[in-house]
Parts: sequence; structure tokens; C-alpha cells
Amino acid sequence: MISLTHYLLVGACLFCIGLYVALTKRNAIQILIGIELMLNAGILNLVAFGKFDKAANGGQLFALFAIVLAAATTAVALAIILNVYRRYKTIDPNKVDKLKG
Amino acid sequence: MAQTLPYQQLTTCYYALTAVVLPVLAFAVNFFLKKGKAAGWISTIAIGATTVFAAIVFKQQWNAPLIHATIPWFTIGGTAVNAGILLNNLSVLLLLLVNVIALPVHIYSMAYMSHDEGFSRYFTYLSFFCFSMLALVVVDNLVLFYAFWELVGFSSYLLIGFWFTRDKAVQANKKAFIMNRIGDVGLLIAIMVLFSQYHTFDLNALFSADGLVANSTLTNGLWINGTSTIPAVWQYLACAGLFLAVAAKSAQFPLHTWLPDAMEGPTSVSALIHAATMVAAGIFLLGRVYPLFSVHELDALAIIGCFTAFMAASIAITQNDLKRILAFSTISQLGFMVMAMGIGAYASSLFHLVTHAFFKCLLFLVAGAVIHEMQHIRDENKLDFDPQNILYMGGLRRKMPITFITAVIAGLALVGLPFTSGYLSKDGILIQAFEWSDTKAGVFKIIPILTLITSWLTAFYVARLVFKVFFGKFRLSEVNPGLKLHVHDGPWKFNVPMIFLAICCLFPVFSLNPFLYEHAWIYKSFLPSNFLERMNPYHTIIPIALNILSLLVIYWAYAVYVLDKKLPLKQNNWLFAFSYYQWYFNEAYQKVFVQPVLAISTGLFAFDRKGIDGLIHFFNRIILWVAKLSAAIDRYVVDGFLHFVVALVRQIGNFARSFQTGRVQYYLLTTVVAIVAWVILKILI
Amino acid sequence: MSAAQILFGLMSFIALASAVYVAASNNLVRSVFMFFVTLFALAGLYVLALADFVAVTQIVIYVGGILVLILFVFMLSGRETLEAMQHQPKRLWKLANLPAFLICALLLIVLFNLFMNTNADALPWIKQAVHNNDVIKAENTMTENIGINLMTRYLLPFEVISILLLMALAGAAHLSRKEAGA
Repeated sequence: MISLTHYLLVGACLFCIGLYVALTKRNAIQILIGIELMLNAGILNLVAFGKFDKAANGGQLFALFAIVLAAATTAVALAIILNVYRRYKTIDPNKVDKLKG
Repeated sequence: MAQTLPYQQLTTCYYALTAVVLPVLAFAVNFFLKKGKAAGWISTIAIGATTVFAAIVFKQQWNAPLIHATIPWFTIGGTAVNAGILLNNLSVLLLLLVNVIALPVHIYSMAYMSHDEGFSRYFTYLSFFCFSMLALVVVDNLVLFYAFWELVGFSSYLLIGFWFTRDKAVQANKKAFIMNRIGDVGLLIAIMVLFSQYHTFDLNALFSADGLVANSTLTNGLWINGTSTIPAVWQYLACAGLFLAVAAKSAQFPLHTWLPDAMEGPTSVSALIHAATMVAAGIFLLGRVYPLFSVHELDALAIIGCFTAFMAASIAITQNDLKRILAFSTISQLGFMVMAMGIGAYASSLFHLVTHAFFKCLLFLVAGAVIHEMQHIRDENKLDFDPQNILYMGGLRRKMPITFITAVIAGLALVGLPFTSGYLSKDGILIQAFEWSDTKAGVFKIIPILTLITSWLTAFYVARLVFKVFFGKFRLSEVNPGLKLHVHDGPWKFNVPMIFLAICCLFPVFSLNPFLYEHAWIYKSFLPSNFLERMNPYHTIIPIALNILSLLVIYWAYAVYVLDKKLPLKQNNWLFAFSYYQWYFNEAYQKVFVQPVLAISTGLFAFDRKGIDGLIHFFNRIILWVAKLSAAIDRYVVDGFLHFVVALVRQIGNFARSFQTGRVQYYLLTTVVAIVAWVILKILI
Repeated sequence: MSAAQILFGLMSFIALASAVYVAASNNLVRSVFMFFVTLFALAGLYVLALADFVAVTQIVIYVGGILVLILFVFMLSGRETLEAMQHQPKRLWKLANLPAFLICALLLIVLFNLFMNTNADALPWIKQAVHNNDVIKAENTMTENIGINLMTRYLLPFEVISILLLMALAGAAHLSRKEAGA
């Protein structure tokens, strides 16, 4: 039997890796990947806890919602990245600094 | 006029007022005309008219009941002060005397001052003086008296300093003014004391025969006047104040030193003011307030008068300056008058005042004429010598016969030889001095003897003056043989006044009997009712002894100065020096008063500079420091606080801004750090 | 050790290893494909957590949708991105990444500490669920139940999500549109 704690630990590792990716990468796409990693860590937790809600299926359903939202987020974010690239010829978010005083 | 006076008296009052007002009109006209030779005529005509009015007033008032006319002047509280005129024998006599002296002097001045730049100014001042003096003699209350007393002093000041570009003249008028101020303060004190005791300023109410003063007594250290009683010390103070006033105005010891210096003014001024009229104001004041003085105070007056007379005469014998000799002579004669007042010879004193006015004025006019000629010689020959020094003169009797004759008459009158007015008045004083000393003991016996000696000294210096100036040879020619001498009697404007005054120096003007002063009409009019007729041998012995000795003294002087006999007294002993340097009064005053005052002033100035200014500077500095401190507080504390707040806000802003890098990942990192920190804290706590 | 546990360990390892590679790799293409691996491994983990519907959805949406989108964008962003990547230094540890690494490690320690101290299986509501027999068993088929729940209990979130998706669609389409002045 796989205990909940194992899922949580794996999720924690995944979240930290995703966070590291989101923090360190100089590329909007890679940052996005990092965010997706963190989201997946969260979904993993939802799914793991969802095992103990047979009737309402709250965990699984919110995992589904989260996946869908992540998809929407990614779609919008990629559209933005495309636009940014079109305007600045770069997808490094640190170089998009036209508003900086 | 408030009171209803008889028509006769009313006109008299108006005449007197006219006499007073005319000179001030002349003064005003001259003042506004500024320049021009007309000034002399305006003033002279004014004084001439005044003389006529004064003569009328005198004729009507002499030996008549006094006229006292007043109008309300002002009221302070419950005290009403009246202004008015008081015409009694004393005032009408002086009214006439001043005019009779002033008129010849005015005429004389027109010639004497004719070449002076300040001709117009001179007559302006002179008219102003005449006005002040005439007003002084007729006013009826002490307040007005004080006012005109001051004005007389002030016009004297103006005239002494008439040639204000000369340093000596300025020094002299300053000296005169300061001396007179001392006297004025005395008079003011006396007036205040009198007012607080009697509650009136009215001279008539105070000093008439049965006035307030006559009815008040000094008993047991109290000064009692009806219901009002104050300590007697106030009476002494009033007398002392009055004496100070008299001493200042009439140049009595110890305030006499201004008069010789006052000779820096024009000679005609000296003749009018510093010989005949203004200096007589002191005696006049004594005459006015005579009832106030008690027996002991009169004794003091006698001592001081006698001392002054002797001292001045002793100084006069060695002086070389023509006018200075006359000035000391004036002091000496004024001393006689004061002494006469002191010994109770009230009538003789005033009589001597009148006669002295004539002959001393004449002597000054003579001196003026001589000096005028000497100045001519000096200017003509372009020499540099003092035209007033009698050592340079001599033998002028042939050149200036009229001047010489008038000078001799005046000189004889001053010595007091028979057939002159001086004999009548002076012998009276001497005789009464002896009579008075009979009733006294001790030191008072010296007074008549000293007076006698003074008379002989007078004879000597007058003789010396006359012989040096008019006899012998003209000494300047001995030194400068080629000297051009165009010396002659002056114009008629000189001669007429001098001849007129010379006539006034002779006995018929005053008494038909040339030997008996008791027969003089002026003398008679002032006599108290309880007068004692010739009751002792003094009346015979003293004039004879005095005059014989005087003649001897004059002959001695003649022998010494004209016949060039050896002077038995050496000129280099200390007595001579003592006399020559005027008893060192100037030096003593310089040492005792002027230098300490200067030292005190310097000290005070230094104190002011160092102490007070220092204190002020100290406060200044403190305030400056406080200001700087508060500025510093303002700058460093208040502003500093604000700047600190500003800096803090800026730092916080900068700090906060440093987070706003625009780097998304940085924000994310920060957020994570915060969360982690929060979680750790949550776990740990 | 049961087969499930072995599978869990394997899936976990694959997921974490591929994720570490994503983090460590500087090559965008490789990291994208490694992310693909991670997502598969996660789907496997979902299956082990008895959420087969979620696992399928994961593969369909993530692998079929999101990953393809990422690749599209990567390709659309063109040459510069690739060149920039090639010029990047090959170092694994950049000093600039140290704070991020430290904070991530710290967070990991904190989370580990938290989970170890909290016995998730002994939570009250889990015990309650076990007691009420409200636990999904391996033999249960939850797809039908999910559909019913979605249409009944979670209808409002479902509809809100629909609208949100519509908005995202429109927004993404709008943003990606070629502008005249751009």
C-alpha cells in the first residue's frame, strides 16, 4: 500500500524543482514549464487525497479543473510570449523592461 | 488788565509795556530782515522810543504808590498764576537805567560795529537783550522772572560768542553759560521752595513791606508762615539758591570767573551787558527778594561781597588787558553792592548800582574807542599785537582828548573822589560798613577795613590804567619807530554817548550837594522809614581819610607809571603772580571741577563704552549665540529631523524600489522567501 | 514490497529525474521533451493513486495540448532563441542561481519536515473516510461517478470553467493575432 506521505513527498520534490526552474531560467518557455511542474505537483496532491473521497470525487474533479485551467493559462501565456517575442525579438522576461523607470 | 486801575496808572502800565515790547519788535524786524545797515537804526530808534516811554513811566511812578497790574496767565490745579507788571521805585529806576545806558551804547555800537560782517545780527541780539532785561525788571512774578532771567543769560551767551569763529569767544560763552546755569538752578530751587512755602509766585505779595515773607518768622529751626510751617533748612536753601543766582549773574565769588572771559564779546556789549545792566540783574534780584534774608544770611552776603570786591581789585592791579582790568573792576564794584546789601545799606547798594552803571559803561566805551584806534594802528601797519594790552599804549591823551577827559571823569567816579557820582554812592557804602561793624564783633570788624583797602586798590588800578593808556609816550612807537599813527577821537557816534555818560558821572545828576550822599534823591527814595541821621563821626572821618589816601595812591601811581620811578614792589614775587593769575581761580576750578568732571565723564564714557556697551554687546552676543543656536537647532534638529524623515522615506522608497526590479522571477523569489520564512517561523514558534 | 510500490517508486523516480533534467538542462528542446516524460510519469502516478480519469485527461490535455502549444511557440519564436541558447554557458551551477537553489532546498526541507511530522494517513477526515468506507478501491470505476458529480454537485464550477476557457480562447486568439502595426 502506498501511503499518502509518499505522494506528498514526491509532490514536494516536484514543486521545489518546478520552483527552481521558474526562478532560474532565462527563457519564458522554460519558466512556463517550471510553473507547469509546480501545478502538476499540486495536482498530484489533489489526486492523492482524492482517493479518500469516493462519493463526491472532490480531489479528482479539482484535479481536472486544475488541468483545464493550466491549459488555459498556458494558452494565454504562450500567446503573450509570442507577442512579446514579436515586439522585442526576445523571450527573456528580464529584457522586456520598457516600463522600467 | 484784570483789575480796574485809575486811568493814570493804566496809561503808565501801557507805557511800561510799550517800553518792553519795542525792543522785541526791533528784534523781530531785524531777525527777518537778516542783512543790512538798517538794523542799527531800527534797534536804536526802538531803544530811543523805549527810553522816552521809560522816562515817562519813571516820572509818573517815581516815589508814587506802586502799580501792580495782572492778567490771569494759567491755572494748574487750584493755583492760578497771573502775569503782570509790577512798577515800584526799584523797577522803574532800573527800567530807566537800562534804557539810558542802552541808548548811548546803541548809538556807539553803530559806529563801533559798522565794519563788522555781523552788524545786523549784532543789533538783533542787542535788541533781544534789551527786551529780556527790560521785561526782567518789570515782571511781577517769579515764573516770568525766571524766564527772563534765563533769556538775559541766553542773550548774554549769544553776545559773548558773537564772534563765534574765535575759539576763545566760544570757550568764553560756554563758560559764561555754564556758570549762569549753576545760578539758574539756584534760582529755580529758590522759586520752588518759596512756592511750596507761600503758594504764590507773586513778587508783590511775597516781598512787599508787609508781604508774606516779611510776616513769616524763623523760630526754633522752623520757618513759620501763618499756618504753614516747614523746617528752617528750606529757608536756608532758598537763600542759598538765590545767592547762587546772584553770584552767577553778578559775578560774585565763587562764580565770578566767567566775567573776565566774557570780554571776548564786542566791547560795546561788554559796556552794556557785562558792566552796567545784566550783571546788575543779580543786585536787582537781591533788591527784589531782600526781605527774605535773615540777619545771618545777610552777614554771609556781606562777607562774600567784601571778599569778592577785595579779590577782584587785587587782581585788577596787575592785569595788562584793558578790558580785563575793567572786568575785574566790575566784579569788585559788584562785590561792593552785594556787601552793601549784606550790611543793610540797601539804598546805598542800589544807588551804587546806578552810578556804577554809568561810569563803568563809560569806561568800557572809552576802552572800546581806544581799542578801536589800536586796531587801526595794527591793521594800518600790518603788525601783530594785542590791541587790548595797555603795555603797548601810552600818550593817547593828546591824540584822543575827548576820550581822555571822559575816561578821567569815569575813573575819578570809580575811585570815588568828590564831585563825582561814585563819591556819593561809594562813601555811603563805606560809612555804613563802619557803622555796621560797630554792632558786630570778631571777624566782621575786618570787613570795613578790607573795603577801605579795596577802595585804595581801586584808586591804584584806575590810576594805573589811565596813566598807562593816556600818559607818557606811545610805547609801540619806541619798538617800531616808523609807525604811522593816525589816532584821533572817534566819530560823533562815539563821542556823544561818551560825553553824555560822562555828564551822568558827575554829582549834579544825583545830588546837589556833592559831599553828602544822604542828599541823593535815589538814596532817599529807598531809605527805610527808621533811617538814622548822621549820628557818628564816621560820616566825616571816612570820606576825608579815604580820599586823601586815594589821592596819595593816585600820585604814587603817577610817580611810578608817568615819572618812571621805581616800583617799590617787585614784579616777580609770589603776590604779584597770585594777583596776575587771578588768584588761580581758573586753574583751581580747572583742577577741582573741570578736570574731575572730565575725568568722571571720561570714566563714565569708558564705563558706557566698556560696561554698558560691553553689557549690551554681551547681551548682543548672547542673543546672537541663542539665535545661532536656535538656527542650528532649526537647521540640524528640526530640519535634520525632517531630512531624516525624508531620507528615511527615500531609503524605504529606494529599498522598496529595489524590489521593483521589473523582474518577475525576482518577485517570485521574494514571495517564496517570505512564505518560507513565515512557515519556518510558524513551525519554530 | 508489492508491485504497486515498485511501480510507484519507478514512476516517482522517472518523474523526479526528468524534472531535475528539465531544471538542469540548458537546452530548451531537451527540457521540453523531458517535461513530456515527467508528465507521463505523473500520469502513471495518478493511475497508482486510483485516478485513471485524471491520468487520461493529463495525457490528453497536457501532452496533447500544452506540450504541442509549447513546441509551436518555441518554433515560432525562431532563430534568435535558439542562438541565444547555444551561446549560453554550459555550466550547471551558475552563481546567480545559488539563492534560488538555496531557497528551493530550504522549502524542500521545510516541506519534508512538515510531511514527516504530519502523518497524513492519520488525519481525522481520512480516518473518518476509511471508517465510512468512502475510499476508492482499485476495483471501482470512477468515470461514471465523475460525470454525475460534474453535472450535479460541481455544475457551477464546471460552467465557470467553461466560460473561463472561452475567455482564454478568445484572449489567446486575440493576443496571437498579427497586428497591423506590430
